[in-house]
Amino acid sequence: MKFANLLFLAAPIFAQEAFVLRNVTIHPVTAPEIAGGSISVANGKIVEYGAKVAAAKNVKVIDGKGLHVYPGMINCATLMGISEVTSVRESNDTNEIGEFVPQVRAVIAFNPDSEHVPVTRVNGITSVVTMPASLTEGRGAGGAAQSILRGQAAVVHMDGWNWEDMGINRNAGLLMRFPQIVTARVSAFEGATAAAIPFADAKKIYDAELKKVDNFFDAARRYQTAKLAKAADFKPNVQYEAMLPLLEGKAPLLVPAERERTIREVIAFAKKQKVKLILLDVQKPGKSIDLIKENNIPVVVGKPTNLPLDEDDPYDAAYSLPGQLYKAGIKFAFGTYDNQFARNLPFEAAFAVAYGLPYEAAMKALTIDAAEIFGVGNVTGSLDKGKSADFVVTDGDPLEVKTQVKMLFINGKNVALDNRQTRLYEKYNSRK
Amino acid sequence: MRFALLLLASAATYAETIFIQNATVYTVTKGTFKGSVLIEDGKIKQVGQNLAAPSGARIVDAAGMHLSPGIIDAHSHIAAGAGGINEGSVSVSSMVRIEDFVDPESVAIYRALAGGVTSANILHGSANAIGGQNRLIKMRWGKTGVEMLFDGGPPSIKFALGENPKRSGNPTPAPGGPTTVARYPATRMGVEDIYRQAFTEAKEYQKAWVDFKSGKSTVEPRRDLRLEPLVEIMEGKRLVHCHAYRGDEMLMMMRVAEEFGFRIATFQHVQEGYKIAKEMVEHGVGGSGFSDWWAYKMEVVDGIPYNMALMTSKGVMAAVNSDDAGLMRRLNTEAAKTMKYGGLTEDQALALITINPARHMKVDDRIGSIEVGKDADLVIWNKPPLSSYAVPQKVYIDGSLYFDRDTDVSSRIAKEARKKALEEKAKAQQIPPQPKKDSAPQGGPQSDEVR
Amino acid sequence: MKQFLLFISLAMFSLAQTPVTVAIRNAKLVTISGPVIAKGTVVLRNGLIEEASENATVPDGAWVIEGDGLTVYPGLIDSISNIGIAPPAPTGPVTGAITATALAPPAPPARGPEDRPRTTSWERAADKFRSNDPRIESARNAGFTSAVIFPTTGIFAGQGAVVNLAGDNPSKMIIESPAGQYMTLTGGGGAGGARGFPSSGMGVYAYVRQIFIDLDYYERTKAAYQANPSGKQRPAYDRALEGVKESGRLLMPATSKVEMERVIKLASELKMPFVLYGVHEGYRAASVLKQANASVLISAKWPTRPPTADPEAEEPLRTLELRESAASTPVTLNKEGVKFAFYSDGQTPAEFLKGVRLAVTRGLSHDDAVKAMTLSAAEIHGVSNRLGSIEKGKIANLVVTKGDLLTEKPAIQYVFVDGMHYVPTADGAPTPTAPQGTGRRPR
Repeated sequence: MKFANLLFLAAPIFAQEAFVLRNVTIHPVTAPEIAGGSISVANGKIVEYGAKVAAAKNVKVIDGKGLHVYPGMINCATLMGISEVTSVRESNDTNEIGEFVPQVRAVIAFNPDSEHVPVTRVNGITSVVTMPASLTEGRGAGGAAQSILRGQAAVVHMDGWNWEDMGINRNAGLLMRFPQIVTARVSAFEGATAAAIPFADAKKIYDAELKKVDNFFDAARRYQTAKLAKAADFKPNVQYEAMLPLLEGKAPLLVPAERERTIREVIAFAKKQKVKLILLDVQKPGKSIDLIKENNIPVVVGKPTNLPLDEDDPYDAAYSLPGQLYKAGIKFAFGTYDNQFARNLPFEAAFAVAYGLPYEAAMKALTIDAAEIFGVGNVTGSLDKGKSADFVVTDGDPLEVKTQVKMLFINGKNVALDNRQTRLYEKYNSRK
Repeated sequence: MRFALLLLASAATYAETIFIQNATVYTVTKGTFKGSVLIEDGKIKQVGQNLAAPSGARIVDAAGMHLSPGIIDAHSHIAAGAGGINEGSVSVSSMVRIEDFVDPESVAIYRALAGGVTSANILHGSANAIGGQNRLIKMRWGKTGVEMLFDGGPPSIKFALGENPKRSGNPTPAPGGPTTVARYPATRMGVEDIYRQAFTEAKEYQKAWVDFKSGKSTVEPRRDLRLEPLVEIMEGKRLVHCHAYRGDEMLMMMRVAEEFGFRIATFQHVQEGYKIAKEMVEHGVGGSGFSDWWAYKMEVVDGIPYNMALMTSKGVMAAVNSDDAGLMRRLNTEAAKTMKYGGLTEDQALALITINPARHMKVDDRIGSIEVGKDADLVIWNKPPLSSYAVPQKVYIDGSLYFDRDTDVSSRIAKEARKKALEEKAKAQQIPPQPKKDSAPQGGPQSDEVR
Repeated sequence: MKQFLLFISLAMFSLAQTPVTVAIRNAKLVTISGPVIAKGTVVLRNGLIEEASENATVPDGAWVIEGDGLTVYPGLIDSISNIGIAPPAPTGPVTGAITATALAPPAPPARGPEDRPRTTSWERAADKFRSNDPRIESARNAGFTSAVIFPTTGIFAGQGAVVNLAGDNPSKMIIESPAGQYMTLTGGGGAGGARGFPSSGMGVYAYVRQIFIDLDYYERTKAAYQANPSGKQRPAYDRALEGVKESGRLLMPATSKVEMERVIKLASELKMPFVLYGVHEGYRAASVLKQANASVLISAKWPTRPPTADPEAEEPLRTLELRESAASTPVTLNKEGVKFAFYSDGQTPAEFLKGVRLAVTRGLSHDDAVKAMTLSAAEIHGVSNRLGSIEKGKIANLVVTKGDLLTEKPAIQYVFVDGMHYVPTADGAPTPTAPQGTGRRPR
């Protein structure tokens, strides 16, 4: 019923067709809101928005009376398109083998028919960053070292026919697992863990691993120099070739770093290697907040709904972290670090707002800031003229859970709001 | 005996009379209005729009605030970790009790309290077909483990279907890890068989006792802590909360229960409850699950966020639970998702985390709504409780204030200072790691032996 | 190696003198059971204390020790030990240690309480005790004349024995057997069932309950059968239940307040006397212990931050508080009137006594600390009619010092065990023990 109607509504509009959405409250995020405004779209791009928008004759007009328009949101940490059912190995293309695999690309493994795409976008998420590995800091389960340079992340539109037309930044950064100093936890109540590693030993392992990373970067830089110099003995190398965008400052290094020490060490590493950096999954930065700010490093904050990392942390530590980053003047965005809950991105941001982040800052973090951090600020993230027409039409504040998304536009296409879940709903709702 | 006395002693200390006024009161069962609630002896004494504060009562002015019943989480595993949560070594572990290991000092209790949760059913895990005995607790932070226990309602037990109990039987060996001995069952077919076997045995056991007590037999049976709870289940004295995802397996479970003459109280997770709502209504089983979880394993590929709304509209008593210490802190927004997906009303959505789980556990005479005579388990929110921005300000259990956001925030400095002082003291006392001498054996008892 | 040990043991006991009647005259007697006698005489004969008072007569022919400037204490007791029944604990990290049990073929996993998992309740420390453990001498040199030894592996690990720490014949060294059942209550592998039942703490509790239900049933069934076997089916012999029954007292572990409450609750269902051991968070739980009328054995191995810990690793306030206050447990329990004794918890005698001295710096009196290694220990283990104080008729276990016993370098002059005089070492100082900071596992 509901979904069918929307489908019907959506049907006559084609991606490239021009249209004007009228009678809506526009929340541009980058500018003050406009009540009773219009937004005009042609060739998949935004032509203009405002209180008064001139429209060419014969252009399709959609009436959005009572509805609200927001730029489409961007989930900055997902496994979208490369992971379907977490526990089913064959449905996952997330973690490649090898310590240094900077050449592998998430974008080419993106399955446009993943059910996560339609399920996620109906909450107003029009783009995602898809990462070529699961995003936990440190070592994987079982203690085995995972790969260090794990591959290239991509920014992907949540509608399209294949990864070639969906990928809007095919190399949005090189994902790295930064080495960790891993000692077993020791509880005074339960005694020592048998496998506890003394700090000095753990530090040695860490130093050795870091040395290996430095060596790899150095080798890549020699490759770069040799290539530039057109050296006689230059031999092409796929691995090092994949490092060039990073070394040339065109793509950032993406590093999950939950805690102060990791953040400190990662920043030192990035400075030493002179590479651009985006910190992911920041959860307990402590004093490193200042360091992040000093070096102007953008952050994809850990989920606000995460539990605090340590027993004594304030109960609202994760809820309130985005507010603290904002106060410190750090540019940040949100991500869910999975697919299952990727659709809940706006509700994650809402928790940050409830615990101190200004609402406007949350909306920016979900849209324009996210786009700028991942190098697609000229393509999406706001309603500015010339950008992809990525926006969501709702009956209210998109951060409120009960708000309904009424229409969704990606690249100017009125995207259907149905998915496997709505179809199952329809099917079993009809069972008498 | 002694513990009962302790409980009574603590009960006597919450005698403060409290008058919460000017709040938007969400009774859940009797509408929402601007009004007041009077608390006496830990119970709700009066609820209404035009109440006057009795003299001597502590007045709590909740102008601009919202008052809801305490949230009830019908599925949690917090504060029992020391007990292991799962006795996964056997397929029938009905003799084990979560109650033995309720840890009143687990910080998860406080964090849930700060999210408005006042009661939680702490469930045994889902590693085996017949798990252990669950325990309903109240989040009386600062009290002892025994004082946390909810004093009322029938006892319950955990069952589990599907991937978990069968996977425990066929563990994937970790590379280089110890070889594991497979434990029956490895399929859904075997899971059903476990129930048939166990209840057949329990019936024999039940009969042996009946025969002995009636004098028909002179052989006194040996008391068996594993079979006793199963007899209680068949006698309707113990509720079954059954972990299940798929419709087919839930159907199986209902039929097996019917075969042995009992009813399942709830299916937990119940992700495909919407597919068998009709059969669930006929059996009389409730559905208690996640709002929007899916895709983490094969049996939840058909999990849909419309499940709660569909079950509700088709007559299943539904509830939203957490199964997770993190999610537990925001069940209000989890319930709100059922308004988004499937269009439940505000009252229906709130019921999913208050009165409905109370009904599932047969404690709705005590908790789950704001009604005269019920336990004064209440939450004061700064925004409507189903709003994304709602933050619990005060949480009462039995009329006692157990969480206060202002107090929490203002006490942080002192706590940090204490911790810092102890850390510095410890650092000063810490023996620095001794530089390792090459392969020189350390002293200690070994040197005694060598001497 | 065996021969070597034998040689050591012979050498050791050659230091003991032939039994004679001994009188220590005009010494300070810290009797523990009564007031301190500032100047008194204690007479030892036939391994027993014949007399101990201000005016005791010195028998003719006795070896007289002039006690001016000397203090006499009852010999110290280590309340939980594996001395004589197990090799000394390995030093350093236990990572990858291969134990004898790991090499043995694995038993099939237990399927329930009926398989009596992790139970050796029938095993007796007394039967395993050997007198040639070199730790016996180093303990004695430090003033320990008795120890209560236990098998320590398993839920019902086995039965303890009170032993004297001198002699060459193990049988003669046993003072009491059995002396309690040592229990551990930790779970196994959790969700995975590979190691059998019980794999969780809850499973262990359920098992313990079922054991006592079975014990009750077993005894009644057995009694009924013995009264009239004819026409009745023969009840099966159950060594696990026999063992639990014999031990008479349960030693149950509890470190934190929550654990103490939990274990007390379980123990109170079992209808058998119990003693808690560990008890580091006892400073918070004095009233809990008092209400339960529980006696406790306090580990003198106080928790410390391991020196190998990550310097940046954050520790919970609870852990920091525990480390700060654990050593205040004895003085707190003493004020509340909870009976307690100390045990070494695998430490060397020097480390053990250092731990006890820390408790003294937290306000426990010197003599109360000695009491927790003498009379209280004897009371808790049911041998106070024989051990633990300087009283007429008790076993002649004494330590004679110049000055206080619990000082950093106690001047131990004489040690008597069963009335026999032992010379600590040639120069009269205790055997040198391990350097500090080794031999302990990090906490």
